[in-house]
Amino acid sequence: MMRRFLVRTTAKIINLWRSQRAEMEMDREITAHVEFLEDEYERRGMPQEEARAAARRALGGTEQARQLHRDARTILWLDDLLRDIQFGIRMMLRNLSHSTVAVLTLAIGIGACATAFTWINGILIQPLSGVADPMRLVTLESLTPNGAMVPNSYPDFRDFREHLRTVDVAVFRPSAFSVGPEGHGERIWGEMVSGNYFAVLGVQPEVGRIFQSTEVPDAPGMSPVAILSDRYWRSHFGADPSIVGKTIRINEHELTIVGVTSPQFHGSIPAMAFDIWVPYMEQSALNGVPLWMLRDRHNRNMLGIARIKPGVTFEQARQEVKALAERMAVANADVSEGMSATLLPLWKSPHGPQGLLVGPLRIVMGVSVLLLAIVCANVANLLLARATMREPEFAARLALGASRLRLARQVLTETLLLTFAGAGLGLAATPWLSHALQLLLPPGNVRQLVSMDTRPNLAVLSFTAGAAILAALIAGLTPALRVGRLNLTSRLNAIGRNDQAGRSRIGSAFVACEVALALVTLVGAGLFLRGFRQTLNINPGFDPNHVLVNQFYLSTNSYTLEQRKEFCRRLDERMMSAPGVTEVAYSDGTPLAFEPSWWEELEIEGYTRHANENMNVYRNVISLGYLPLMHIPIIEGRNFTEQDNEKSDDAVMIVNQAFVRRYFPGRDPIGKKVHGWGRWFHVVGVAADSKYHYLSEPETPYFYVPFRQIYREDMNLAFYVRTGGAPESILSTLRMQTREIDPNVTVFDAAPLIESIGASLYPQKVAASLMSVLSALALLLAAVGLYSVMAYWVAQRTQEIGVRIALGAAPAHVLGMVVRQGLAVTSLGLVAGLGLAWMLARSVASVSFTNSAMGSSASLMGDSSTDPLVYVAAAVFLYVIAAIAAFLPARRAAAIEPMRALRAE
Amino acid sequence: MKKTPNPVSILQGTLDLMILRTLVSLGPNHAYAIATRLEQVSDELLKVNQGTLYPALVRLEQNGWIKGTWGRTDSNREAKYYAITKAGLKALEEETHRWRQMAGVMDRLLAEEP
Repeated sequence: MMRRFLVRTTAKIINLWRSQRAEMEMDREITAHVEFLEDEYERRGMPQEEARAAARRALGGTEQARQLHRDARTILWLDDLLRDIQFGIRMMLRNLSHSTVAVLTLAIGIGACATAFTWINGILIQPLSGVADPMRLVTLESLTPNGAMVPNSYPDFRDFREHLRTVDVAVFRPSAFSVGPEGHGERIWGEMVSGNYFAVLGVQPEVGRIFQSTEVPDAPGMSPVAILSDRYWRSHFGADPSIVGKTIRINEHELTIVGVTSPQFHGSIPAMAFDIWVPYMEQSALNGVPLWMLRDRHNRNMLGIARIKPGVTFEQARQEVKALAERMAVANADVSEGMSATLLPLWKSPHGPQGLLVGPLRIVMGVSVLLLAIVCANVANLLLARATMREPEFAARLALGASRLRLARQVLTETLLLTFAGAGLGLAATPWLSHALQLLLPPGNVRQLVSMDTRPNLAVLSFTAGAAILAALIAGLTPALRVGRLNLTSRLNAIGRNDQAGRSRIGSAFVACEVALALVTLVGAGLFLRGFRQTLNINPGFDPNHVLVNQFYLSTNSYTLEQRKEFCRRLDERMMSAPGVTEVAYSDGTPLAFEPSWWEELEIEGYTRHANENMNVYRNVISLGYLPLMHIPIIEGRNFTEQDNEKSDDAVMIVNQAFVRRYFPGRDPIGKKVHGWGRWFHVVGVAADSKYHYLSEPETPYFYVPFRQIYREDMNLAFYVRTGGAPESILSTLRMQTREIDPNVTVFDAAPLIESIGASLYPQKVAASLMSVLSALALLLAAVGLYSVMAYWVAQRTQEIGVRIALGAAPAHVLGMVVRQGLAVTSLGLVAGLGLAWMLARSVASVSFTNSAMGSSASLMGDSSTDPLVYVAAAVFLYVIAAIAAFLPARRAAAIEPMRALRAE
Repeated sequence: MKKTPNPVSILQGTLDLMILRTLVSLGPNHAYAIATRLEQVSDELLKVNQGTLYPALVRLEQNGWIKGTWGRTDSNREAKYYAITKAGLKALEEETHRWRQMAGVMDRLLAEEP
């Protein structure tokens, strides 16, 4: 029975497409039948003409026969649908301007939503591509005693790998590499990975193979192998499959290429694309990291990723990880006391750009939805106006026996056509819009690394289709319901003249909604802008102007620690004597940059640690010139000197004022002893407080230690040059001096310090500017909506207004009447909008961003969420816009000539 | 056109069986011949409405039970000749069996004295 149904349905559907042919076949058959009857009647002796007429009569009306035939042939509703669509397209084309406006506004709304969703999908929902079963991959993070998340050490990883039963764990660490022969090195970014990395992620090789656990042991220097990305393989090796087995020169070491990853795979940090993967244990050979650091449980710099085994829940896996980590903390109490570990969904990982993007993306998504809602209200209004104009048509069709359901369905079909046309247009723009994600990231390294799969995939397509259907339902339901309720007799009696109270009430409600939503976006934009301005006005506590900063990656040149220090000393010397240079400095960390900031766990003389108190204090490792170059004053004591070097027995540090207030309250800090890096330091000076991670951060205890005493192989190297003029002007000098010391060292990404500081402001800046763009759109749409409703209202009441004027109403009075009507609607929307905005602002105020694992996070909105000025200004602004939108039709109303208006009756 | 005294309407679901059976006895034939044959067999009791016959033929063809090909009649008229297929023969067997069962039930039911 079922099979028969299927067979017939298939035949019917096929018939639907072959409808033309089937129709012809049927004609032929009916013709044949009539002819047979004719023959029959003639045989019985009828004259030919009469026989033909009788034959037709006997067939019972060819058209009726045809219809029955058609019904048997096709699925009725599907046929109707196609007919509705054909009719809908005709209607769309007939009202081309109407339809264009509707489709374009829908394209804006749906396009914005689809773009936001593409981002969210790429970063939060499906963060990694090219891996097997990504839903079972999670981030593994170690937890400090106070609950802060930190990366893992290699020895910890080995324990996790050996003992965890519910998950498979791998570790990795992003790193810069220099590829190619000496002197012509090219910088690429890759990941140093554990041997089981590819096996855990389930990555397929494009050519060659992935790392086998056996070929990449835990011992250092045993596996000089590398795997390339498909992108790099294509751009640099012309996709040559014989690449496998050849060597590639990385950081001046030969590595054998064993494979190329599948094109979809970009590495294990969401939204970032890496080009090479090298075993972590090659660190010592490639980056000169000493062997003890690879074995140091305290050296937590490996990001963990884990695959939950089949049949295990997230919670079970998390419990096992926690239990094991706590056992490990007891067993290694010297370095890990009180530590734990946990699992997180990939997108919650505090590393990588998603920390920066999650907050802004959520807001963008929210605002896009608001925008779509405004668009829907607008389109609903357009459709309502059109449905009203078409009421005579609908009434006539009802009178001819069309069912109300059928008419309502047709209105919905037409709306669906509009929304899908809009969605198609919006989707076509999505790939371009998606690239704007790059603008959401600060300039520099991270931006080059960002990869985004902007091809619309199934998730994005279904989301967009869903949005289009939802939009059609929202926008089309009211008109459809109205058509369904159409009162036949009154409509037929009063074609052309109608009281529009109902329709204009609904229209006004839509406009009030639009105004409310526009106010929400406007208030949002205002709050973000104000928060951003407030942050901009914060004094960073150092002077970033006229300073050029460059990151050196000397490890990619196989420098030893001594060579690095020597390089810095010589470059410092040379730059100091170069013309135009006033100050030179170098350090590990850069303030306010999009780089992780590091800390050291301290023990402070005379300060008793509370139970579970986090004694990790942020620090920087600086050269003598750093504080003077930054114009950070030394309040007490002295700066570092040449004597504070490797040979000195006395390790020294400079602390900031917040450090003193926190750890030495009421005591003289100079000469106090502080323990870190396994040794005791003397505090020799107090530097003024400045901003370290975010401009809006609260006061942060911080300390500095001398470059020559503490600098290590795994630290970064930022080199600063202060000049009298524009920072860029000194770039060529820096290049030349660097080349003269070592032609293999290149100045890759020198930038003015003021720009790299912008990084910490980026999320706020992006939120503020995106909100401004979106709220401008919302405002425009709301104004258009209000204008069209008022214009329609005036057009409907032309006669009434004509009578009023004929009876002596002054034009000013008419003008006032119309504008008042518009403003009444606006006020209603404003009141609702203010309440909504207030509530939303309070929840958005808690959205924050983080620029690294180590830093705390900063609020995206600042403290402005309750700033009454913003609310008042937004409301007033919207009121003025509404007054203008209402004024234009009002002027037309006031100019109505009474005689013409009455004659139009 | 002769008037038939008491035309009976075709019982729901029986037309398919009638068409299939007719095609077996007549061999491949066109719709008009099928209709005429049904009227003759029923002694003009059955009046086959074209509006019912054609949809039924379409339905049967969609089921794959009959297959239509265009041909010419003796009088050189163009007509679609329907032939029963293998699946159609099988269906006829099943439908016949079902009808016999049904008819038997009806007979027994009606034979009972009230």
